[in-house]
Amino acid sequence: MSGDETTTTKEAQGPASAPPPAPAAPSTPPANGTAQPAKADAGDAAPMSNPYAKEGAASAEVFVAEGAKKRKKKPVEIAIRLTKVTKRFGVKTAVDGVSLKVKAGSVYGLIGPNGAGKTTTFSMMAGFLQPTEGVLEVLGYSPMQVDELRSRIGVLPQDALLPGADKVGQFLVHMAQLQDIPTDACEEAARAVLAEVDGRDWWDVKCGSLSHGMAKRVQLAQALIGDPEVVLLDEPTAGLDPRVAYEVRQLIKSRKGRCTLIVSSHNLAELEEICDGAAILDRGRLVASGSMNELTASSEEIRIKLSPGPAPVSLVRDLPMVKRLEWDEERRELVVYFERGQGVDAEQVIGAVLWVLLQNQARISAVSKGRGLEQRVMELTD
Amino acid sequence: MSPFSEVRFVAQRELRKSFRSAKGIVLLVLSLLGGTAVTLLLAWVQQLKREKLANVTPEAMESAREDAMTQAFGDPATGKLLSHTPEVLLAVFFITIWLTPLLISLLGFDNVSGDMQHKTVRYWTLRTRRASYMVGKWLGLWTTVSAITLTMHAVIWVVCIVRGEAPAATAISWGVRLWLITLPISAVWCGISTFVSSIFKTPILALLATFAVFFVLWVTFLIGLRFNVDALTYAYPNTYDSFLINARIDKWMTGLAACIGMTALYVGASSFMFTKRDL
Repeated sequence: MSGDETTTTKEAQGPASAPPPAPAAPSTPPANGTAQPAKADAGDAAPMSNPYAKEGAASAEVFVAEGAKKRKKKPVEIAIRLTKVTKRFGVKTAVDGVSLKVKAGSVYGLIGPNGAGKTTTFSMMAGFLQPTEGVLEVLGYSPMQVDELRSRIGVLPQDALLPGADKVGQFLVHMAQLQDIPTDACEEAARAVLAEVDGRDWWDVKCGSLSHGMAKRVQLAQALIGDPEVVLLDEPTAGLDPRVAYEVRQLIKSRKGRCTLIVSSHNLAELEEICDGAAILDRGRLVASGSMNELTASSEEIRIKLSPGPAPVSLVRDLPMVKRLEWDEERRELVVYFERGQGVDAEQVIGAVLWVLLQNQARISAVSKGRGLEQRVMELTD
Repeated sequence: MSPFSEVRFVAQRELRKSFRSAKGIVLLVLSLLGGTAVTLLLAWVQQLKREKLANVTPEAMESAREDAMTQAFGDPATGKLLSHTPEVLLAVFFITIWLTPLLISLLGFDNVSGDMQHKTVRYWTLRTRRASYMVGKWLGLWTTVSAITLTMHAVIWVVCIVRGEAPAATAISWGVRLWLITLPISAVWCGISTFVSSIFKTPILALLATFAVFFVLWVTFLIGLRFNVDALTYAYPNTYDSFLINARIDKWMTGLAACIGMTALYVGASSFMFTKRDL
């Protein structure tokens, strides 16, 4: 996501010889709407449409666990649906009337500070916790309907330890057996998924002897075994060293388009990178949800960082598509707001603004669309 | 997947885990050593008794045993039946029945609580019905306990045969019968242990609670005996050993039905609670 939408230029200098891009029809259709802060009753506040869902991945029926015994599956457009879901622990309300829809085939993030209700929401999706009020459906079933969801949902719980006495291979084969994978295919499925997490050599290692990073990858392997249609990942890279975290991220990315992925994480950069859309929770309430473009306002503003030197701010302000402009002298950051639609999109605005800046000897150090997920979350949460 | 398959997979894993864990192996070895020691002790006592009663004819001896058994079980048919049982086997049977709760509490206290402590149980609840998980845990524990007691009984049969306490055919036929009688009773104890274990998320608390519950049941039984309140004795699973060893079919059926009912009650209650709770 951010890889596609954010461009960083190292010290681009002097006027460019190339002309500015000619105004043209946008190559990609603009998003249908911006993310709206959710009202207290999130049931009617959360935007339910998911324009970010990939074509061809609209139906969860297309994903059939390889090797799994034939099961009649109900085709679904919406992989996960929460309707006014509330969870109370005694007097404490952990999740308060959250409504969400996650389209089949998308990668969706659950975002929020500590105590926001991410893990509680996640645990309800996985069937570990039961909602106090409201309705929660995964692939059209209650998460407690294990037989209907067996092998169709994979979960990486955040703090569930692996059984220490089991060997990795034994554990994965046992999990495969319980997923109704034919007995003679269980070992093959387990070895394949262990290879996918780069753990071929751990087959005979006891789960209790694994390092944190290795255990996390085995946990991920059990979540991915049998190629489930919905994969829930709670803090998949928490506590991992940067290299392993990167590898896990790549693994998650490789699953994009093959299944619906729900990722709960504090790592906003990671979520911005891998998610198509997200829900932002704060104190148990849904404060915003939508596509990543909508949440980061990447189709409404661009940010340009300038190195010391000329800053032709007034010339940029005079551009016809510019609605408003902010210039932070101290940070040397230019924020350009524009009205999308009517033949104007972020790419055209970037082209026009850069042309003006380069013509006037401005030294550009970075260009990005939107305000970044981190900033958006900071704005929406206390 | 049917619930039976789920139960089978969970129970198989439980069995494998028990016999590969240090706890399982230590308890097996201790059971074998204890069983052998008790058998040797009882055989020695028997030998002393035989030496003392050397002038008593075998017929008179059998008659005396029959009278004693009839008095103990309140039924002449049972008295007659048990008078043919090798004494050592019968004594060991009652000792093992009495000690089985200890073995079960040590084997089963972390049966479910161990998985709940660090939320390991979550890997199973995604893939099995919660009731199946609970029944599988109970079945795994019961099978483990049954296998350990069978091994212990087998050692006792061998000791019995080698020391000439009974002919091989008698020792084995009675041995197997007595071992089979332990099964319904240990099933109830395993049910209680699984129930208690499923309530706690901390294994050490589950162990203490299991000991406490077993002790309370035993005290209740003693109170029932002392004050002739039969209803109190029925809560104690070992009460049913005298039913299951009985020659009368109605008594035997009552004992078996009571054990099955109590097991179903405890396993059902733990399954119900487990299904309703957050994990």
